[in-house]
Amino acid sequence: MINFLPLLPLMVLTGVILTLMMAIAFMRNLALSCGVSVIGLALTLGSIIWVNLNLEPAYVTPLLKVDDFGLLFSGIMVISALFISLLAYSYHKQRGEQQDEFFLLLLLATLGAVTLCLSVHFASFVLGLELLGISIYALISYPNQGQFSLESGLKYLILSGVSSAFILFGAGLLYAVSGTLSFADFAASGIGSTDSSKLFMLIGSAMMLAGIGFKLSLVPFHMWTPDVYEGAPAPVAGFLATISKGAVFAALMRFFLAADGYQYESIMTGLYWIAGLSMILGNILALLQSSIKRLLAYSSIAQFGYLMVAFIAVSELAGKHLAIEGAVFFLIAYFITTIGAFGVVTIMSDKAEDHDLDNLDAYEGLFWQRPLLAAFMSIMLLSLAGIPLTAGFIGKFYIVASGVESQLWYLLAVVVIGSGIGLFYYLRVIYAMTKKGLASSEVSIPVTSSWTMAAVTLLLLILGVYPAPVIEWVSNMALQLI
Amino acid sequence: MIQLGLFYIAATITIASSLLAITRHNASHALIYLIVSLLGSAIVFYVLGAPFAAVLEVLIYAGAIMVLFVFVIMMLNLGAAGVKNEQQWLKPRTWVIPSLLCLALLAEIIYLLSSSNQALSGVVIGPKAVGIELFGPYVLAVEIASMLLLAGLVGAYHLGRRYLIDMRGESI
Repeated sequence: MINFLPLLPLMVLTGVILTLMMAIAFMRNLALSCGVSVIGLALTLGSIIWVNLNLEPAYVTPLLKVDDFGLLFSGIMVISALFISLLAYSYHKQRGEQQDEFFLLLLLATLGAVTLCLSVHFASFVLGLELLGISIYALISYPNQGQFSLESGLKYLILSGVSSAFILFGAGLLYAVSGTLSFADFAASGIGSTDSSKLFMLIGSAMMLAGIGFKLSLVPFHMWTPDVYEGAPAPVAGFLATISKGAVFAALMRFFLAADGYQYESIMTGLYWIAGLSMILGNILALLQSSIKRLLAYSSIAQFGYLMVAFIAVSELAGKHLAIEGAVFFLIAYFITTIGAFGVVTIMSDKAEDHDLDNLDAYEGLFWQRPLLAAFMSIMLLSLAGIPLTAGFIGKFYIVASGVESQLWYLLAVVVIGSGIGLFYYLRVIYAMTKKGLASSEVSIPVTSSWTMAAVTLLLLILGVYPAPVIEWVSNMALQLI
Repeated sequence: MIQLGLFYIAATITIASSLLAITRHNASHALIYLIVSLLGSAIVFYVLGAPFAAVLEVLIYAGAIMVLFVFVIMMLNLGAAGVKNEQQWLKPRTWVIPSLLCLALLAEIIYLLSSSNQALSGVVIGPKAVGIELFGPYVLAVEIASMLLLAGLVGAYHLGRRYLIDMRGESI
């Protein structure tokens, strides 16, 4: 008999999804739907903490493994989904009837993300990826009016479908040589020992990396990112930039650690180039964007380039612990910051009719009209740029430290150059907000959104000023992995 | 060795008809080639020793596309002009190639069923083995797949509603 108790978080989340579906079937009420999903996500978070404190790490069937790594990432996903639900409430309140399914799809996508964080097997990996993907297609094209969202939904559908096909084909090739779909058994199956199996292994993992590169929007596979982010509703763009990418990254990291993908020279060379190009091109393309969403999209490409530096640094035995710790902390900081930045775009677009208010012109003079909102945005952008007192600084510091420890000098040079370029376009937005600009009508921030933004900002500053508890927590998790 | 030959014939037919499916200008012609391609991959599965997967391929994929076809014909409700159009489209060159490909596949399956040859991999995996795996170690995959279907259902419902609004210019 399988012990399913460690899967309590997944069961709670599924229960919440079914409850919400029933609630929508009987009564359509946006506040109720949002309330159910927020309370449900809080309960899920509680169950994650309970499982972490009371149960030993365990495999639940060969598909999922509930351990500190998976639970930490699941917790991050669930908290992010909670913030995004709260921010999405007032956004959807202004947009006509039948907006309740948004929360249902958001919860389903979160379920997919949590599955990805816990999966140690290709079957659950692909299923989690698809659950996340299918919910996101619908979320991107959610608005009832306007062509932009439909267009970007279609783009994401096709490209994500192609990347899933790549991942499946790669997994098939790996299965052909190793005879197993479980991450941990790859290392034991001794693939790569003969020449022909080595070739299969290389092609298979190259295809998998291409597919995962699409999902993480790393550079040769990044073309879709700005278009999709621009067309998607602001809360969904925030979801795409954080949860969707973070969950895939968690699965990638688990795969590389369990299957010891770091031993293959050519894969590491590929990753090296992917990381470097992402940092350079992401930052350069962000320079002259006039749309904040596109700017954040390119900046997220660059940020994942930084993250990949820590990911590559895991390959060196000496810096392994520091690099895992750094990657996870950087990801936490990136999550908070990105949710905050897209949160401001969401609040700005609350009243917008057809298209989200993401043009830089609309933000001119924001400091004089809505100082609080402008302050939130500035703190988020400064954190993305890696200015001290914010979580982004500690994250960037970790990236550099783990790069130094593993002696990745070329990549470190690119990190420095990229951060320099990055500073320019982040400050450009802040500069635009300080201009004496257009006098738009005075609008108050909705209560839910303002409190959520305050919480996000506070979290960001606490992590920047007093990160010790979180670092200790992440460090213990990293110790268990190696 | 004959098995290997059959495998390659079926695989070639599958790839060729997939290529034809994505290069057709007419959607219904493309669908026909898609069905041939799915039938071909069913034979590939059968030769490899997975009869259950082969049956599912025909029932679910090819079957679903047939149903889609019927739906399209019903919804478009073409009338007399449509019948005339259809006669124009139904030239031999549109149906001869798919029929020939199907006939080749039919010949293969008749041969396979009448001969008692082993599967290419040496092991035949029947429905019972698949079921035991699905509700044993892979039970969570089944559960996650059910949520995947729910996500598809909710998404399709919401996006379909948008289409209705566009059609009638009102909210439903």
